[in-house]
Amino acid sequence: MITIPYLTALTTYFSYGLLFAFGQFRDFFRKIFDWWRANNLQGYAPICLGLEDFYTRRLYLRIQDCFGRPIASAPDAWFDVVERYSNDNNKTLKRTTNISRCLNLGSYNYLGFAASDEYCTPRVIKSLKRFSPSTCSARVDGGTTTLHTELEERVANFVQKPSAIVFGMGYVTNSAILPVLIGKGGLIISDSLNHNSIVNGARGSGATVRVFQHNTPLHLEKVLREQIAEGQPRTHRPWKKIIVIVEGIYSMEGELCKLPEIVAICKKYKAYVYLDEAHSIGAVGKSGRGVCELLGVDTADVDIMMGTFTKSFGSCGGYIAGSKELIQYLKYSCPAHLYATSISPPAAQQIISAIKVILGEDGTSRGAEKLAQIRENSNFFRSELQKMGFEVLGDNDSPVMPIMLYNPAKIPAFSRECLMQKVAVVTVAFPATPLLLARARICISAAHTKEDLVKALEVISQVGDLVGIKYFPAEPEKQEQLKEMIKMD
Amino acid sequence: MYVRAVPTTDLNRNTEWFTYPGVWTTYILIVFFSWILVLSVFNCSPGIAWTVVNLTHFLVTYHFFHWKKGTPFSDDQGIYNRLTWWEQVDNGKQLTRNRKFLTVVPVVLYLIASHTTDYQHPMLFFNTVAVFVLVVAKFPHMHKVRIFGINADQ
Repeated sequence: MITIPYLTALTTYFSYGLLFAFGQFRDFFRKIFDWWRANNLQGYAPICLGLEDFYTRRLYLRIQDCFGRPIASAPDAWFDVVERYSNDNNKTLKRTTNISRCLNLGSYNYLGFAASDEYCTPRVIKSLKRFSPSTCSARVDGGTTTLHTELEERVANFVQKPSAIVFGMGYVTNSAILPVLIGKGGLIISDSLNHNSIVNGARGSGATVRVFQHNTPLHLEKVLREQIAEGQPRTHRPWKKIIVIVEGIYSMEGELCKLPEIVAICKKYKAYVYLDEAHSIGAVGKSGRGVCELLGVDTADVDIMMGTFTKSFGSCGGYIAGSKELIQYLKYSCPAHLYATSISPPAAQQIISAIKVILGEDGTSRGAEKLAQIRENSNFFRSELQKMGFEVLGDNDSPVMPIMLYNPAKIPAFSRECLMQKVAVVTVAFPATPLLLARARICISAAHTKEDLVKALEVISQVGDLVGIKYFPAEPEKQEQLKEMIKMD
Repeated sequence: MYVRAVPTTDLNRNTEWFTYPGVWTTYILIVFFSWILVLSVFNCSPGIAWTVVNLTHFLVTYHFFHWKKGTPFSDDQGIYNRLTWWEQVDNGKQLTRNRKFLTVVPVVLYLIASHTTDYQHPMLFFNTVAVFVLVVAKFPHMHKVRIFGINADQ
């Protein structure tokens, strides 16, 4: 639940209104200027109408230097950020050859596999030499190597499902699978804060899409009952199938899904459950097996489990795990399997080695250490930030922590000030988040040491004071409280 | 001092900001402060200032709520390109609280403007035209109606 100070809400609306008004004025004058200037379209239609990219041109481009910063090294706990400058007020940015070494608080590097790892990297290089960087073929033609079959077995075993299928890209996994699983006459009920890949896949499938209030099982039940009673639109025939789509950890909120209640409701109304564990696989749970392990849900109750390898495994690609019949069907019909190039062999080897490390099959306890480290790091960081008075979202144990900023001017202020002090954070604004609720999203990694976290806390506290985002009263230190009590006596 | 922001089920990023707390107050405050601004810049009587505010309010809200169609970003692939903002609000559901509030505001502005100008012409005429157009445009029966094809698509 996000609590906003009322005055902040008012000022945020006013700021956006002002930015919008200025943008409209500039567009108006630009239209007048362009009336006179001859356009070089030569009768072709313009690529986009002026109103469609209003947000990009007038709001996003103003603070473009806070997004899309190029980096010049592996995204480890510390990395090199390339400095850029602009001569025309951020409309175009030019790279320089200077780099600055910054603390990385933005990469999804939950277990620290993003940089060179002592177990994974030698094996990846060996497989690169043996299999070459790309299979140059789709899975059904010539792109299935021994690595691919081993990877699918290991993923199925890791997630504790009978069988799995692996794709080369995480976003595509969602947007190409949903049209295959469900079509016209089916119903998709998805959480209101689901990722864009799920929204795109749902739209592309042709099924009717309904949305339930974020993480509210009661509202899900209400929507299910209403939809089952009404049936398909206009004909009122019963639905062909119903799929409920939820995510394990919501990447913009950092909170866990209420999986046990949602699975219970879906079982009651005979709807399928599709769980997207992009951020939670490998990062939560006692042995890293995701939200099902953390919340005690039997994996046999979740019909389709999806995940990506980009976050905790330091690679690329996505997977779907389910029953043998489901995976067999997907192998015959999913276009991402039949026509898209298969996952790159060194990337597959990286995932296999990372899974081995997490499960401890490499002979060391590094996996368990990493999992304990990330849990400790996230809990420490979150509690310290909350003590300082920031509004931090997310549940305990979740490595994603958004810090609320709200006002549009604080977004570039926070981002630039932190970069000046060598801490790189990712700020997210409208339209990825609701208009009012702009935030800076921090991703903690197992590769962060205690000193890194303490430095990050110092910098964020300083910048937070400067920018004015400590919306809650800070808790004073216990020792100071004690001292004051002694003084009063 | 603090309010809770409950995430909505509205997927349309163009209109879901209107469901969060504080919007109505901001709207009323902007109208009030623009009245003070007009008074201080033009040094006119309060009635004329309210008339000016009412007419600018009419032009601005008519343009952005009932004339401009679509959304200012391209993420949604143009599914709302045929709908004005008013038709997109609350997913097209009529007579919600937001819609009722937005219908009442021009009427209240009209009453204030006509009272403070003592119901004299020509201000009364312009104010009446403004409120008539705005309120008729917000009727549930006018949903997706384009009179004489004005502002219709190709």
